[in-house]
Amino acid sequence: MSTAHNIEPVVKEPQMYGLLAEFHDVQTLLDAAVALRKAGYKKWDCYTPFPVHGMDKAMGIRPSILPWIALAGAMGGVFTILALAPLCNAFLYPMIFSGKPYWGMPGHIPMAFALGILGGTVFVVHGLFVLARLPQFYHPLFTAERFRRVTDDGMFIAIEATDPSYSPSATSQLLTKLGAAAVEEIRD
Amino acid sequence: MASVTTTQLPGMTGDFDNTLDDGVSKAPLVLGEATFREVTRKICRVAEAPRAPLAWYVAFAISTALVGVLGVMIAYAVFTGVGVWGNNSPVFWGFPIINFVFWVGLAHAGTFISAILLLFRQKWRTGINRFAEATTVFAVVCAGLFPGIHVGRPWFAYWMAPVPNVMGAWPNFYSPLLWDAIAVFTYTNVSLLFWYVGMIPDLATFRDRSKTRLRHTIYGILAMGWRGSAKHWQLYERTILILAGLATALVLGVSSTVSTDFAVSQLPGWHETIFPPYFTVGAIFSGFALVLALAIPARELFGLKDLITKRHLDNLAKITLVMGSIVTYIYLMEFFIAYYSGNGYEQFAYLTRIMGPYWRMGWLILFCNCLVPQIFWFKFARTTWWLALPAALLCLVGMWSERFVIIVTVLNRDFLPSAWHNYAPTWVDWLTFAGSIGLFFTLFLLFCRFLPMIAMSEVKSILPQAEGHVHDDSPAAAAGH
Repeated sequence: MSTAHNIEPVVKEPQMYGLLAEFHDVQTLLDAAVALRKAGYKKWDCYTPFPVHGMDKAMGIRPSILPWIALAGAMGGVFTILALAPLCNAFLYPMIFSGKPYWGMPGHIPMAFALGILGGTVFVVHGLFVLARLPQFYHPLFTAERFRRVTDDGMFIAIEATDPSYSPSATSQLLTKLGAAAVEEIRD
Repeated sequence: MASVTTTQLPGMTGDFDNTLDDGVSKAPLVLGEATFREVTRKICRVAEAPRAPLAWYVAFAISTALVGVLGVMIAYAVFTGVGVWGNNSPVFWGFPIINFVFWVGLAHAGTFISAILLLFRQKWRTGINRFAEATTVFAVVCAGLFPGIHVGRPWFAYWMAPVPNVMGAWPNFYSPLLWDAIAVFTYTNVSLLFWYVGMIPDLATFRDRSKTRLRHTIYGILAMGWRGSAKHWQLYERTILILAGLATALVLGVSSTVSTDFAVSQLPGWHETIFPPYFTVGAIFSGFALVLALAIPARELFGLKDLITKRHLDNLAKITLVMGSIVTYIYLMEFFIAYYSGNGYEQFAYLTRIMGPYWRMGWLILFCNCLVPQIFWFKFARTTWWLALPAALLCLVGMWSERFVIIVTVLNRDFLPSAWHNYAPTWVDWLTFAGSIGLFFTLFLLFCRFLPMIAMSEVKSILPQAEGHVHDDSPAAAAGH
């Protein structure tokens, strides 16, 4: 974990993506994630077949803006109905239904409720795809044979070569020291 | 995976009784060899087997034949006119609306399991949530079919939407029928998105295990390039949590909105404030009965007894019992309110249910929905398939009869006795209903064969070896949390 490597110019072939390290249990992976964050790495990620509890804390991932996106969608749905209903029934085609006023909000609440839920759902799902940059059908990690097990039982850490702290030898040694069972170079 | 061998539980397979906790540790929810790899293998082998079990082919043949019948019946009704049904004056709402309300109700268990049980952190839901969500999506498909054909001219169904048109007319936003259309539209979309987003990591598992190029391409497109990144998992878990919150509101809202079709009208027997919770509880009750009735054969047929354990059946039966008991309370309360209101019309409506022309169905409801679920007080009944399965099916019969009685016994006794007219479904009605059951099972069987039937990533996350502790007290960690 020597900082001397940090100032070395990163000499790499243009197609080098980075290092892929395989881990065999969750605890080692979490400890490695904490250590890598403390070592100052920026462009790296953990890959697991299931969500690991506490991983966002270990890696220092900030909370996302997804709840706000959902709120915006839900509000959009609610106000769409609260605006559309009077527009249709009070202005474009004013008509008296069962002696009710043209513009009566209580009768519009059930639809505003439903459309609010729809708006929140559509926004949060699209927000997920946009923030996660999915769909992304090609990724350099998919070239690694062992990475196919990431959706089965494989747990990995990948550090990108463009990370300022990256050095082919030192980073590899660090990963091995942190308990990686195997470290592999990934070329794009 | 040498480090996880300690968590294997030798001798505990699918027939092991894990319904009791010993007071020291929780009983395991995954039996057999509980490693990540084994969970993947057990669930994937259903979809990866070259041939499905023989029973699957038999069931699929029957279901698709019924879908054919459904198509013929719809074509017959559309080309001839809705007079081929038993609907009459004053019973304008016959089978189409009965079946619509029934199917919407069946959808509710999936949403309840994936939304409310997630918020309550019920770990056992992971074994059954995926296929319960699938029943939601397919039941909503069947539900949406009926109002679509009930309008008689389905090609004008878009008139329900506020579309600018040459007549300058707009939908009536005060009408519960429009609320209903929007609620079901919302329900369809939300349950589909919830189901799909939850399935993405498991579709990626299918992609990575695929042996042929075709499978790799199809599952690859559906999985959207999911690679299990921690940053993605964080967004994904947050999305699922928000969707669960929204769907919780929806599971309580949709049947409530459906009930306003009845409760907002001015008819004795329908015009009641108890209707929204009444319909919602009845919906959840029938939905859990359906999930129980599907889980019992599915775990046998596809060899999933280690993942859908007796504890899952036990819990499903318990929720069915609770909901059945609430339904019973509501029935009693309805009769009491009718008596206590002192309103002759209201009292007449309720006496008609148990003493009128449909008294047999009235008593069948009380038997199926009130008495039958009471056997689930006994653990033997909850965990024995030949008791639990017929009981669950009887609950479904009871709930369908309830929808029938609510709609028909109120409408057939109009305000003027001269307008009274009984209702009898025709063979077209019956075959259309049977066809919708075939449609449901066709979709469900295809799902079992080609999609991940159990949420693999979620089951893995509740295994003991998925737990870890973050040993870090630095401020950066606190900020990131």
